[in-house]
Amino acid sequence: MPPEPANPGDEAPEEAQAEPDQHEPGRSEPEQSPNASAREPRALLTVERATKVYGRIVACDAVSLAVDAGEIRGLLGQNGAGKSTLMKMVSGVVRPDGGRVLLDGSQLPPGDPIAALEAGIGMVHQHFSLVRALTVWENVALGERGRIRSAEAIDRVVEIGERYGLPIDPRARVEDLSPAQRQRVEIIKCLRQDPRLIILDEPTSVLTSQESRVLFDVLREMVNRRGCAVVLISHRLEEILRATDRVTVLRDGRAISTIATGTATAASLANEMLGREASLEDEGAAIGLVAVQERRDPGGTHEGPAEPADRAAASAAPSDAEEAVALQVENLSARGPDGRRLLEGLSLRVGRGEILGVAGVEGNGQDALVELLSGLLAPEAGRVMVSGREIPLGRPDPHSTIGVIPSDRRESGSVLDMTVAENLVLNQLDRVMRRGVIIPRLVRRRARQLVRQFDITAASMDAPMWSLSGGNQQRVVLARELSRNPAVLLAAQPTQGLDVGAIEDMWARLSNVARDGTAVLLISTELDEILALADRIDVIHRGTIVGSMDSAAVDHERLGLMMGGQAA
Amino acid sequence: MNPDPAGREAAPREEELPDREETASSVPLRDKLVFPVLLVVSIVVALLIASLFLEFTGNSPGTVFSAMIRGSVGSASALVTTINHMIPLLIVAVGACIAGRASLINIGLEGQLAFGAMFGAAVGLALPAPGFVAIPVILAASVIGGAVWAAVAAAFKYGRGISEVITTLLLNFVAFEVISFAVNRSWLLQESPSEAAYVSLNPQSDRLPDTAQLPFLASGEGFRLQFGIVIAIVVAAGAAFAIARLRWGFRLRMFGFNPRAASRFGVRPWVIGGSALLLSGAMAGLAGGVLLSGHVMRIRTGFANNYGWEGLLVGLVAGFGPLYAIPVAFLYGALRAGGGVLAATGVDQALVGIVQALIVIAVTLPSLYMIYRSRQRQARAIRDRA
Repeated sequence: MPPEPANPGDEAPEEAQAEPDQHEPGRSEPEQSPNASAREPRALLTVERATKVYGRIVACDAVSLAVDAGEIRGLLGQNGAGKSTLMKMVSGVVRPDGGRVLLDGSQLPPGDPIAALEAGIGMVHQHFSLVRALTVWENVALGERGRIRSAEAIDRVVEIGERYGLPIDPRARVEDLSPAQRQRVEIIKCLRQDPRLIILDEPTSVLTSQESRVLFDVLREMVNRRGCAVVLISHRLEEILRATDRVTVLRDGRAISTIATGTATAASLANEMLGREASLEDEGAAIGLVAVQERRDPGGTHEGPAEPADRAAASAAPSDAEEAVALQVENLSARGPDGRRLLEGLSLRVGRGEILGVAGVEGNGQDALVELLSGLLAPEAGRVMVSGREIPLGRPDPHSTIGVIPSDRRESGSVLDMTVAENLVLNQLDRVMRRGVIIPRLVRRRARQLVRQFDITAASMDAPMWSLSGGNQQRVVLARELSRNPAVLLAAQPTQGLDVGAIEDMWARLSNVARDGTAVLLISTELDEILALADRIDVIHRGTIVGSMDSAAVDHERLGLMMGGQAA
Repeated sequence: MNPDPAGREAAPREEELPDREETASSVPLRDKLVFPVLLVVSIVVALLIASLFLEFTGNSPGTVFSAMIRGSVGSASALVTTINHMIPLLIVAVGACIAGRASLINIGLEGQLAFGAMFGAAVGLALPAPGFVAIPVILAASVIGGAVWAAVAAAFKYGRGISEVITTLLLNFVAFEVISFAVNRSWLLQESPSEAAYVSLNPQSDRLPDTAQLPFLASGEGFRLQFGIVIAIVVAAGAAFAIARLRWGFRLRMFGFNPRAASRFGVRPWVIGGSALLLSGAMAGLAGGVLLSGHVMRIRTGFANNYGWEGLLVGLVAGFGPLYAIPVAFLYGALRAGGGVLAATGVDQALVGIVQALIVIAVTLPSLYMIYRSRQRQARAIRDRA
């Protein structure tokens, strides 16, 4: 069987538009040609047209992939590109809706993790699956059948550790270990099964760069010694370049290209990962972004250098910067409860009427920034000023001048079991109370007003929040936060999980908010969202802002490099 | 990134507008029908099983059920007995509701009730005073006692992060031991030998002075309607109002439904959660105080007599709604009254217990099912909208 049946793009007619740029010289090459000679006739792992659909989202769209024995394969892509879903199908955790997975030529039963494990596929998950209260050897032995002898299990851990350079104390309790050590346990647990294919999902997200280097040495050692294959899922360009033999780039659920790592550069990979520049605008047009921009800027110029100047002039003259800066974040540093560094000297500023987009790969401090500005996390150092006045941090302030749309609107942005009306007045009960008593009539009146103003579709004011669609839930959150007239609106992943119509609507609303003079801090891992809305873009990486650019003059290559942690 | 008109344009067709319409109009009506139908069916099934049981053990189901009905609602005096049983059940249930609304499971109500009553008895015996002072003082002491006992669990929870389910449960047994200790020590609450008309096998305290007894609302041939029912209904109505209309109640619900969101809006868990636990214990204590000065008049081991457990059940069945707890408490009171009469007719006490338990299960199951169903539907709605 040929290792890669065909370039998936050739088979999918709807991809025709994207097709031309995929063969741009020097960037990507179809998988068969350049490496065919250097490869063994049969691949260890073959994935044929694997497809997975979640509701309306096609997470993986007929992805084909072939990984050889003795190879470290990188799987590169943005959040939501389908990397994890693809590998979960391989390891049997997720049952594919179409296509098949073959290991060494024999097909694996779909959606059967035990069969995949027995066939020799081991996966180290992004979020550890260790029992914190148990010791290292207990965790490694977990899932074994029959009688477990502790002495044997301990020896085994020590032996694997020595062989692959993964030293660990088998008797240590997992909860006492550092993230890097915990990952080591995960890898040992995986090696314990003598896997022929090891999949690592974002293994370095919890590691320092030194620890990452050690990990890559271990992986290389494993591949060389045992002739097994490794699939390394990552969105960090640097480590893909450093650790892999070949790299497959996924974008929007499709395998875009497979390149020999030696021929790739960080810049070419960044371009592959993000897609060509034009496609961003095409998409913007396709889903109604043009309309958004028109609403935002009645002048009619969507893009181009003139626009930011207009907007700057409209909001405030750049000269009296102090006046115009609504939100100023200075040198924020914070640690999580487990002592991990979340933010390291992060600074940013947002002007009145401006939308600042904070772009970055998930898990680089975005959550901490949101929590900090919501008063849920106290900083170690640094301060936050709103309209020139320092605001207290570390305690939620009901009268805060920062409105927050948290990324988890269901978890902490709203109370799903309460009614729509109650959710609309959650943070401003004073408005609907008389002499210390909530007046239902006032609640309903206030809610009706906001429902009308924000076009919220609800069966009734007293319908439970959970009965609303995602878009309407998000509009409730937006309405509630804006109805307090905040100086700053913080919107974190405001369109996550929404359908296309609702995304368009939310984008238009956020643009309007900025036009009305509110400073908008947009934190998103969706680059197209940032590019569609932001006036300026800051890139966050490992808890700090690593670069900034004007959205009118976006350099996609540089943006991709910065998001991937490369200095640019 | 990649233009994908085919996939994206397909999406809006699946918009959930029609689905939402359905949720809005038809479901609440169905909800209203499902519960009563289910309730009737499950009670009928329970009675059938109970009949089989009675038949099998040589009793006549007809006699037994008629005795239960006679004993609970069959006459004015039976009705009053039912209501008198209902009083502590309802007050405890209000406590369960307050904790339950904060998503806290206070299963220490039995112990808090007894501990509160011990406080009340101690104060009432130590400070003999005229009735109009003694009664409020005893009730207040009981309230404080119950709250103190719940505060221990609250301190564990918000100080050390220990689940209130465990601490409240275990503190029950501690409370019983403390009471047992107190009524067995002459320098504490033990009955003075001079007063003891007979040697009680069940250690107890002295009787409270008559001035400490709550008045009766009405009395007649063989019955006395206790004043406690007024207290119980006022407490239930007050709790319902506070939960629905006060800032505290709003925050309590918000915290109970979604503590993460609540903390984002400035609700501190230990303030709302702690106050809910304390108030819940205070209600149990009040129930103890009403029971004490209503008719028991002394503290003894076994004082709580399962009112705490059953009150928790009443709160659960009422879906933690204090007003719904009123009819539910009446039903449980009727079971107690009917069971008492049944036992007097010579039916084995164990059988009486089984019949009561079957009816309790029959009444409880539909509420649990409704809770389960609404969780399911909510989960589905969330999944569909993801």
